[in-house]
Amino acid sequence: MSACLQRAADADQLAAFSEFLQAFWRERDLPAEALFPFELALEEIFLNVVFHGQPSDGHQPSVEVRLDCEGKQVTMVILDDGARFDPLSLDTPDVNAPLENRPVGGLGIHLVRTMMDRVVWRNMDGRNELTLTRNVENA
Amino acid sequence: MQVTFESVGATTVATATGRLDFGAATAFQQQLEQAIAAKPGRLVVDCAALDYVSSAGLRSFLVAARASKAAGTSFLACGLQPSVKEVFEISGFSRIIEILPDRAAATAGAA
Repeated sequence: MSACLQRAADADQLAAFSEFLQAFWRERDLPAEALFPFELALEEIFLNVVFHGQPSDGHQPSVEVRLDCEGKQVTMVILDDGARFDPLSLDTPDVNAPLENRPVGGLGIHLVRTMMDRVVWRNMDGRNELTLTRNVENA
Repeated sequence: MQVTFESVGATTVATATGRLDFGAATAFQQQLEQAIAAKPGRLVVDCAALDYVSSAGLRSFLVAARASKAAGTSFLACGLQPSVKEVFEISGFSRIIEILPDRAAATAGAA
């Protein structure tokens, strides 16, 4: 039983995706404390497409999110037709840098990778496909 | 996302309630910057009712921490919920921003 939502890569659509995720969680009665990493991943990846995913032909990308729950494992697939980008190719930001020159770029992806059990990227028919999974039992 | 401010002696306490996502981050940052402009001795962000923070929210904390340093204000956060605390730890922010367990600890000696 999966759920799916597709919207334009516009920052104003973040709330719609967030509500979609929260509704999925409620309907399947998933543990509330396990929602956080999925909300975070959805926001970070979606905004990455919004701000950096503009393809060279200039069209506004569209983002599709699919949610699925099997047993205690939730899978979130985020697809976009923006510029080809593998977020896993980013270097880990320096999380030990002092306040003055602390980088913020790349921090979102670093959080996502750390908080998810598994993150896989592939280019699928010209679209970026990021698959994120995590066990939601005793999260 | 809601922020309320309260002054106790030279300490200003900002109570953050709700979700600090991309949509809320700019307003949150501006409110903290306004509070810092008054150059309090200490600015405490009480996060006990803060349910969510993303990297956009972390950026607001970072900007506020830098502005505090420039103003000579001690910048602290307290009462972080487990998930928010995890975000601070993974990002290394718990090493650049002083985190205290609760509001009582953060405002001790402020009156």
